[in-house]
Amino acid sequence: MPSLYEFANPVLFERWARPAIPWLAGATALMIFAGLYYALFNSPADYQQGDSVRIMYVHVPAAWMALFCYSVIAISSAVGFIWKHPLADVAAKEAAPIGAGFTFLALFTGSLWGKPMWGAWWAWDARLTSVLILFFLYLGYMAIWRAFDDKARAARLAAILAIVGFVNIPIIKFSVDWWNSLHQPASVFRAGGPSIHPSMLPPLFLMAGAYMSFFGAALLQSMRNELSARRQARLERTDVKAASTLVEQ
Amino acid sequence: MKKKTRRLYLAAGAFVFAAGAVALTLNALKGSITFFYLPSDIAALAAKPTAAIRLGGLVEAGSLQYGETEESGKPHVAFTVTDGETRINVAYVGLLPDLFREGQGVIVQGRFTPDGDHLDAETVLAKHDENYMPKEVADALKESGRWQETGGKAGTGSGGRN
Amino acid sequence: MRGLRAIIARDVTLAFRAGGGSLPAVAFFAVITVLFALAAGPDLTLMSKIAAPIIWTGALFATQISLDQIYRADREDGSLDVIVTTSGELALTAAAKAAAHWLSTGLPLILATPVLAILLNLESEAYLPLLLSLLIGTPGLSLIGSFAAALTVALPRANLLISIIVSPLYIPILIFGAGAAAAGAAGAPQYAANLSLLGAATLFTAVIAPIASAAALRSNMD
Repeated sequence: MPSLYEFANPVLFERWARPAIPWLAGATALMIFAGLYYALFNSPADYQQGDSVRIMYVHVPAAWMALFCYSVIAISSAVGFIWKHPLADVAAKEAAPIGAGFTFLALFTGSLWGKPMWGAWWAWDARLTSVLILFFLYLGYMAIWRAFDDKARAARLAAILAIVGFVNIPIIKFSVDWWNSLHQPASVFRAGGPSIHPSMLPPLFLMAGAYMSFFGAALLQSMRNELSARRQARLERTDVKAASTLVEQ
Repeated sequence: MKKKTRRLYLAAGAFVFAAGAVALTLNALKGSITFFYLPSDIAALAAKPTAAIRLGGLVEAGSLQYGETEESGKPHVAFTVTDGETRINVAYVGLLPDLFREGQGVIVQGRFTPDGDHLDAETVLAKHDENYMPKEVADALKESGRWQETGGKAGTGSGGRN
Repeated sequence: MRGLRAIIARDVTLAFRAGGGSLPAVAFFAVITVLFALAAGPDLTLMSKIAAPIIWTGALFATQISLDQIYRADREDGSLDVIVTTSGELALTAAAKAAAHWLSTGLPLILATPVLAILLNLESEAYLPLLLSLLIGTPGLSLIGSFAAALTVALPRANLLISIIVSPLYIPILIFGAGAAAAGAAGAPQYAANLSLLGAATLFTAVIAPIASAAALRSNMD
């Protein structure tokens, strides 16, 4: 049921989200240019992989974001489910397509990287398979939202699916340690510090920063879109006349 | 049954199931459920497997030999895969991936010849490790004697499940 | 307890009656394996190699098409509302519904497997691993499937959405199940590990799926 509470919160949200978006977008642009400059021109070739290592700067942060976005969805889903916070539901819903995009990017660039390095576009090893499952989970999550007209019900059901699917996240993270896999183990977030030479870290972290601020900007903007679409739908539903006079003025 | 006792039974039941799941998982991780076999795993078997398998390990230094090249441009290659304990000879016809080096990790897929002499590989996948560095750094490390063969080792198996 | 037994008995009886879900599921299972076999061609050695994966995917699809029915009839005749409001512990009721689905679909599929395996030229030493893996894995399929059915019970035509939701969740069970069947047939050391992981997956879903189903059913009440 729509309540005053649902209205009050988005107003506050609008107040800080709107000015934040341009800053995040600007940061994205800056970091992506700097990151690509470092990645393509100002970082060394790998001692084994040569220039192919530069795919890493697109691939690895995308894979991080794939996991991060799903975690955002699962956590906001839990918040939305338990405390019925309407903004949390909207955040979870709008994070999904962005996360699915990052997951696809990680799979796609990984495939491009795998062909020259491993000698195969795809291999059914634990890491690749579990990330593919993540991609399907994103699709299932988005399908639930689309299937129900009643947004409140869709939010609760999608939240349940998102929380159940969260099981997959630790499996992805540790798949390379638990199974002898073709995919290499973690290089940055691992016990004993990164095993990447410091000269290769700036482009990696710049790209990760760019992805992160892109995620922030895209999430806030699509949340605003969703909120205004809901506001409009509610206006049309509750008082068609009032809405039409508003438009005429 | 009162609601409270019922809840208690339910929680206990769920706990037993979850504990069973964890115990089974740990049991499985103790055994081998892997993308590939190590040469020592093969040696531990009573007989060489007849089905197609994946074999993972390091390409032994100095073992790579090129034979004649077919008309299609595919060279015949032979090399030895080792995990430091057991060595297995591999024959392959085709182009090797860029990362294929002596001393580096590979995963080959194929079947053993009937006499068990060597593995006829259908595909050769190069496995790389989690170490990334510029060539100069790698050379400098080798020169100063601080080079550790962690990459190849950890990447391919003996320490693969760390 | 008596209530749960009554639900299971009722669902199983309904499933085996005319218009129930058991017979179509088994028929679908048979048809899909035969189609696979026809597509694979006359090579018998190839056939015996892919027999276990074919049966596993066939069982998975046959389970999937029958999922929609788990809560459908209850929803239509209004008994679902009664079940949800009067169940002492809705998660237990959901578990009973999943058990009933397994008894009326999973078990018949397993019983039909030896016959279909003959058609697929399965080697004799592969029967036991295949049947064992199905016995351990199919309850997991029913549990996950009943969760998807509970999520979508309010939708008029849910089959497509159910398969989208269920597919990623089924992948681990399919991998470990077919892996165990293959390793067991070859006498490979991965047999025990795959069976353990398959058992772990089923036990784990036995904890999660009923709770999630109960939450989904409550959210779907009007």
